[in-house]
Amino acid sequence: MRIVTLFLLAGMLLSLSKGWSQTKTVTGKVTDGSGTPIAGVSVLIKGTSIGMVTGSDGTYSLILPKGLTSLIFSSIGYEDQEVDVTSSPLNISLSHTTKSLNEVIVTGYGTQVKREVTSVISRVKGSDVQNMPVADLSQTLQGRAAGVFVEARSGKIGEEIKIRIRGTSSINGSNEPLYVVDGVPLVGGLYGTATSDINFDDIESFDILKDASAAAIYGSRAANGVILITTKRGKAGKTKFTVSSQYGIQNPTHKRGFLSAAEYIDLYREAATNTAKYHYNRGGNWMGFSSEADAIANMIRWIEGRFTRYSGYSDWRKVQTNTNWEDLAFNDNARLGNIEISAQGGTEKNKFYLSAGYSNQDGILIANNFKRYSLRFNMDNQVNNWLKLGLNMGLGKTVRQRVADDNEFSSPIEMVALAPITPPRDQNGEYYTTPTTTYYSALNELDNAENHAKSYRNQGNIYAESRLTNGLILRNELGLDLVNQSDERFWGSRTEWGAGTGGFAWAQWFRNTRWVTNNFLNYVTEIKSKHKIDATLGMSFENRYDEYAYVQGENFADESIRTLAGAGKITGGSSTHEENNLVSYFARVNYGFNMKYLLSLNARMDGYSGLGSNYKYGTFPSVSAGWIMSDENFMQNIKWLSFLKLRASYGTVGNNTGVGFYDSKAQYGSVRYGSSGAGLGITNFANDDLRWEKVTTADIGFEFGLLKNRIVGEFSWYNKKTTDMLLQVPTPSPSGTTSILANIGQMGNKGIEVSLTSTNISTRDFKWTTNFNIAKNKNEVLKLDGEQKEILPSNVRYTNAIIVGKPFGVFYSVKYAGVDPDNGDPIYYMQDGKTTTNVYGDAGKFIIGDPNPDWIGGISNRISWKGFELNILFQGVFGNQVSDAGGIFYSANCDWFDNQTRDQLKRWQKKGDKTDVPELRINRWGDFESPSMSSRYVYDASYVRLKDLTFAYNLPSTLTKKIKLSNARLYISGVNLLTITRYPGWDPEVNTDTNSSNLRQGLDFYAAPQIKSIVFGLSIGL
Amino acid sequence: MKRVILYFFLVAVSGVISCDKKLDLKNPQSIDASDAFSTGDKLKKVLIGNYASLGSSSLFGGDVLWMSELMASNGELNWVGTFQEPRQIWSKLILTNNGYAASTYSQAYYVIYNSNNIIANINVVETSEQAEVAAEAKFLRAMAYFELIKYFGEKPYFAGNASSLKGVPLITSPGPAAPQDAYYLLPRASVEDVYQQIIADLKDAEVNLPATNDFYANKPSASLALARVYLQQEKFAEARDAANRCISVASTNGFSLVNNYADAFNNDVNTTEDLFAMQVTDQAGSNSCFTFFSTFTYGARNGDIEVTDVHYNKYNVSDARRGLFFSENGAWHCGKWRDIYKNVKVMRLAEAYLTRAECNVRLSTSIGDTPDNDVNKIRSRAGLPGLAGATLNQILNERELELAFEGQGLWDAKRLRQNIDGKTWDDNKLTFPIPLRERNINPSLEQNPGYN
Repeated sequence: MRIVTLFLLAGMLLSLSKGWSQTKTVTGKVTDGSGTPIAGVSVLIKGTSIGMVTGSDGTYSLILPKGLTSLIFSSIGYEDQEVDVTSSPLNISLSHTTKSLNEVIVTGYGTQVKREVTSVISRVKGSDVQNMPVADLSQTLQGRAAGVFVEARSGKIGEEIKIRIRGTSSINGSNEPLYVVDGVPLVGGLYGTATSDINFDDIESFDILKDASAAAIYGSRAANGVILITTKRGKAGKTKFTVSSQYGIQNPTHKRGFLSAAEYIDLYREAATNTAKYHYNRGGNWMGFSSEADAIANMIRWIEGRFTRYSGYSDWRKVQTNTNWEDLAFNDNARLGNIEISAQGGTEKNKFYLSAGYSNQDGILIANNFKRYSLRFNMDNQVNNWLKLGLNMGLGKTVRQRVADDNEFSSPIEMVALAPITPPRDQNGEYYTTPTTTYYSALNELDNAENHAKSYRNQGNIYAESRLTNGLILRNELGLDLVNQSDERFWGSRTEWGAGTGGFAWAQWFRNTRWVTNNFLNYVTEIKSKHKIDATLGMSFENRYDEYAYVQGENFADESIRTLAGAGKITGGSSTHEENNLVSYFARVNYGFNMKYLLSLNARMDGYSGLGSNYKYGTFPSVSAGWIMSDENFMQNIKWLSFLKLRASYGTVGNNTGVGFYDSKAQYGSVRYGSSGAGLGITNFANDDLRWEKVTTADIGFEFGLLKNRIVGEFSWYNKKTTDMLLQVPTPSPSGTTSILANIGQMGNKGIEVSLTSTNISTRDFKWTTNFNIAKNKNEVLKLDGEQKEILPSNVRYTNAIIVGKPFGVFYSVKYAGVDPDNGDPIYYMQDGKTTTNVYGDAGKFIIGDPNPDWIGGISNRISWKGFELNILFQGVFGNQVSDAGGIFYSANCDWFDNQTRDQLKRWQKKGDKTDVPELRINRWGDFESPSMSSRYVYDASYVRLKDLTFAYNLPSTLTKKIKLSNARLYISGVNLLTITRYPGWDPEVNTDTNSSNLRQGLDFYAAPQIKSIVFGLSIGL
Repeated sequence: MKRVILYFFLVAVSGVISCDKKLDLKNPQSIDASDAFSTGDKLKKVLIGNYASLGSSSLFGGDVLWMSELMASNGELNWVGTFQEPRQIWSKLILTNNGYAASTYSQAYYVIYNSNNIIANINVVETSEQAEVAAEAKFLRAMAYFELIKYFGEKPYFAGNASSLKGVPLITSPGPAAPQDAYYLLPRASVEDVYQQIIADLKDAEVNLPATNDFYANKPSASLALARVYLQQEKFAEARDAANRCISVASTNGFSLVNNYADAFNNDVNTTEDLFAMQVTDQAGSNSCFTFFSTFTYGARNGDIEVTDVHYNKYNVSDARRGLFFSENGAWHCGKWRDIYKNVKVMRLAEAYLTRAECNVRLSTSIGDTPDNDVNKIRSRAGLPGLAGATLNQILNERELELAFEGQGLWDAKRLRQNIDGKTWDDNKLTFPIPLRERNINPSLEQNPGYN
């Protein structure tokens, strides 16, 4: 209905515009800025395929059909120009392509022309990403900006996305960049990322501040880079409407494959026999069997008893059931759809941008869904010749139907552990649960549990911009980021958590309010047209206030009443609030001499309430310089080099996220004991020296344009060093605690970044551009507490270690040496690295993998021919490993009843067999060690992925005019259609959400594969 | 107008500058550490907090009970759960990074840390209450040290030469405020020294604790704890006398065996038989015995610890204690830990009768009562006929069945020199390794034999 209204509206507007009524011949000459004629320029009548190419003298001649008035001039190395024909002859002067160099970059409390920027800022345009069918805008940046590593933990939808700009710089603080939307920093909540609350159709640009010089203006929060998000604003002119919509389906990128029922029965019988033999001959036979045959008979009886138990009503001897539990974890062709409507326009005095969006995405996992509703209103009002007022306001609601953490049996993927001989449902149609299923079956969650999380975000600011004198502008902003989240869960008595309590429910509420005011003066002046000065001075104050409450209850009167109002007994509740303040002053001076020699000085001083009493304030300075060499006289003869700028920067920024709101003080909090006992217990040990982490970065690079800027590129080398890094320094237990937070460590990241944009072909009908970026980062832990050289993993499954001289989080564990061909035992390397042992506990420990990628990159090609468009983005991650911690259960040579991956079929069976899979044995009596983490489960996780493939058709304007549209675009788009990897698990882009932390990276543990989606979309403009 | 705006801006900036106190915010959810020991009332709250610490799942909230039973399984218990770390304990193939071992070790020292602070600041308590409050702190400290020395001591005390056996680090007063201070890199004290500390604390507690004290430490529980310590030392006369003191104080202060055996378990309020139990409610406390022994039906994990027929068949068919087992998933499960949110039994009066009976028989005495009378109290409640002239073996058998799966399994098996799953009582693998994390920090901590 709304669309129809828009059509009508568009029709009215169009009928008002007048058209020409007769054909007309137009001639002219195309020259460059110096008056030299340009040959081979394509001249096209807009909205048609009628056109010609200029001759060697640069002239052209065309007959304009009735009603058409515009010509488009295009040629490689020159800016396209669209001209309304008002008279003939029509002579045109084309300017050289320096588009990307003249782009205005958002720098934080200001803007700067790309050409003059001396720091390192990557820009991604909103229009490049807005049709991507992903839930979170940070996902759209994957592969698009050099040195920006993006990873979705798994294919669960609407959950956290990890971003690392130039590597990991902190162990205890956040490594995520600071997001600033229209001047207001975004804050997170209980779950998901803040960015998932934002409709990315509203985004004009992402400016990613990467080096210290660019980021220093954000001081103590800039250590991981800053992503400035600018939303769309209205332009004066006719009001333009845009309606776009897409629908599609999603599937997992990969299914792993587990044993079939027949294989399961065969392998577990084999395991039973082997176990009996082992117990009798090697395990000491303490069960006292009279013979090996006796032991085997006992084991077979036992295992068949288990088969019978696991087969429910069906008969395993006839293999009546063959359940593919992996398939049951997924929705087939999960649906997604979204629709956005926006309007923008206004007068020179009042401009506005309005939008509304709705997105509904089913997860690929059963019972997983993400919805977003969003509204935006941006407005600018020019009050008089010196005062401008404005508003940015985004309202959003996200609704998530979440699934359990990866380590819970209620997580759908955990169903792969269940036996293929078990039917999903009993004969009454009820889902089976234990003891028929080996473990709790997540299918029971479908009808009997709820997991809903809602988030409301009100984000925006108002501003006043006053031109006080010529060149001096004062800008005052008052912003708010208000997040309200609720998380309501219910588990019925048939579920794992609800059993024994008559149903169990939990509800939590979280509110985060951040008020921020930015007040700054900006002064721009030119002296004798040689010196250009652009100075900014300002202050900022932020207050963050978090409130939290929860209540839980059990024993539900009726399980269809699932709110806590239905609980017979309230069993828990609490509320807390906490706050912090940040007081800041900042200054920046950009100086240009002859606009060839550029200098930029930045500094911010932050005072933060969370820090120790000795370190409340910190100052973060930076300096950068640039030299536009190509403007020097001696460079003028190098024709192929159209632009060259050298630049260097140095500075220090901070990270205050590692220190909690009140971490510096020794405190006692309340402890409950018994039915009424209220006690006190120490909750924090004192540390007056707690302070921000410092990240000092040196950066050297250059920017260039070749062949009339047909190829433009950038190169950066950086050396980033974290000092005063916060560490939980382990302490001996007799001290009363097992660790204390201290500013003691150091970490380094060194790397290079290369990005290239090339206009390969640019003719009238055919255009092809390539964007390429690649980055290498090498992380190294430089120092722990000085004496200590390593923090070794205490967890048996997750073996990330912190070792001085090595990258952060390397896997440190036992090295698997395969299988002893004589007896089928798994063997491991001793510490000498040569001899082997079959006793896991005696084996040596080694670095067996590194979760940090060496190289990341992306290459996109954009090809258009007439109205057709093809965009292809490949994205790759290279040189990292993933530790598949679930392997100890599902690739475990039948150690227990968990169904096994198909590679276990290659097991050792008889003396002399050469394989990596040990003899099948089921650990009934504890005679031998169950598989533990070792290099057996660590795999190369490099991958190349077809991240985005879009094929679009833009209707010719001759046609759109007939149907009274200004444009119409149809497209089909796919995400993750192809993944090339040697990782044998579900997906190499993985990090389980179980105990995830900065350190616990590169871990797979029943994590869902990524989402592969195909959508059809339509976008029309009125 | 423009000037007004500029002035306004400057005033706003200077206004914020003057607000330095905005940078000094206090946590609404806690009090300063210095405040926690400022008055007697607050110190007593810290004492209550320390009971909760003792009741952590890593200590008497369950782990020290089921770990003892799992290690002493001897074919009577099977670990069938997926968790590998309990499996290591069950199969006696414990790795030095075993998380349960490390948590028990740390948690015990946390209890000790709190007790040390309470005892050191006891002056803020009214003089008349000081001895009693300190006695509670000492009781908790002794309980923690006793678990440490049993699990992590190089060999049991009764192995002999306790002065040359490596025990655990001994700390009995608060150290420097900074936990990373080298002061805390303590070497292992001898088994003898640790036992002396435990006995001194428990003797003090026995004298100064009240006969009854709600669900907090009381005189009879201190006596029974002392009896346990003496049993490990094989000082039977002292054990007998401590058990006897326990019974006489308990029975004159309202404690008695409950009538039905089953009623002694799955309680959320202490029974008359409970000398000391960790309190568990649906909002506080934890019971990991429930987690692992009970089943999905009752809201636990799915019967990770199964009881085998070998154990089940040890009971006479008419034994009420046999009736407490329940069958699920084709296996027996221990009914003592069946229900959710129930107290963890640490010391029941029944044990005192069995200890007194055992020691009296060993010493051919009848202090307190005859061994027959003591053991028959237990037997008759279980629905079994009385014994006449009960032998040591009969009493030990009764002890095993009465206290089955309540945490005494490993300690009784060891002191009675029983083989466990083919291993002799002094096998290295029947002792926990000193946790890897402690040795990573403190190189002066020597590892137990059999581990590296």
